[in-house]
Amino acid sequence: MSSATWRTVFTYNKYAQIAARALRQSLKENERVVAEKRGVTILRYQQWENGQGGQQVFLNPPEEKGKSKPAV
Amino acid sequence: MLARRTLGRIAAQPQVLGAAPSGARNMATLREIELRLKSVRNIEKITKSMKMIASTKLAKAQRAMQAGKQYGIANSEVFEHSPAEHSGKRKLFLVISSDKGLCGGIHSSVSKATRRAIADKDVPVEADSPIMVVGDKAKAQLSRALGKNLVLTFNQIGRDIPTFADAAGVADLIMKSGVQYDGITIVYNQFVSAISYESATMEVATEASLKESSGFKAYEMEEDVTKDLAEFSLANAIYATLTESHACEQSARRNAMDNASKNATDMISKLQMQYNRGRQAAITNELVDIITGASAL
Repeated sequence: MSSATWRTVFTYNKYAQIAARALRQSLKENERVVAEKRGVTILRYQQWENGQGGQQVFLNPPEEKGKSKPAV
Repeated sequence: MLARRTLGRIAAQPQVLGAAPSGARNMATLREIELRLKSVRNIEKITKSMKMIASTKLAKAQRAMQAGKQYGIANSEVFEHSPAEHSGKRKLFLVISSDKGLCGGIHSSVSKATRRAIADKDVPVEADSPIMVVGDKAKAQLSRALGKNLVLTFNQIGRDIPTFADAAGVADLIMKSGVQYDGITIVYNQFVSAISYESATMEVATEASLKESSGFKAYEMEEDVTKDLAEFSLANAIYATLTESHACEQSARRNAMDNASKNATDMISKLQMQYNRGRQAAITNELVDIITGASAL
């Protein structure tokens, strides 16, 4: 179908990442472990306003187990 | 009487040679040299191990770079065949560096290139062109020089080999940020060889400029596909530049640590010479004192 509704929700990159994640999870155990490493991202970003940095935000928030990372 | 005097003397200084009160100046220098020697030896061990680590990481990073470059080349082909009708003035600069230091001039090379590009008279860009930075080091340098232009910064990339997930995340955040631009210029370090790198730029077109180009208009495109292509090609370009910059950083760190180890080794041999001379001088003075003391009887 030509009118896919996912385009209104997220970008093509996100679409590709979701498909890649599904593919990785469907691999056999050994290959899956190797492939999972290629999908890891611990990206953090912060908005800047007028020369001042804002709060640091995790793109994929890690599971907090008590210790939290202070914003720089 | 001689025996009692020398015995008294030796009893007075049970410490290491060179602790004689008469050679107080020499002793302080000897202690100092010893401490310095110890610390420089430790530094040399650390820089040597950092160099080893960087060399092994470089091999892996170079393989990833070769693979990533193919994405970038395939990307650029699309843009070569569909040049923009009129080059826009508003460029978004994406600066690629990393969070870690001790890697030579990687971060400053990229920051300088960005500042040069913004101040360029031949190819004028708007003075308030938005800048986005990947990596804390370049962020610190650019926030001092062009702080008003900063829009978005990223970190935690470059700890390990950059993944396509990183590149896709960055591309998505750029798209979502709602910044206005006519084209994107990625400023990164290009891998020339294992001992040299240079700053370079990569142009990425937006969906709008692709739609306008004559090459594209010759084809009947479905509405959404161009947008997908623009987003995906941005992620591709970011991935190619991330891997190449990562490889440059590892090679620069290896060279920097190699030079540091060499300098440390030179310093150690010089200090060792000084220490030995000082030690021998102290011993000679002791002997002279004893002998003159003996002959004075």
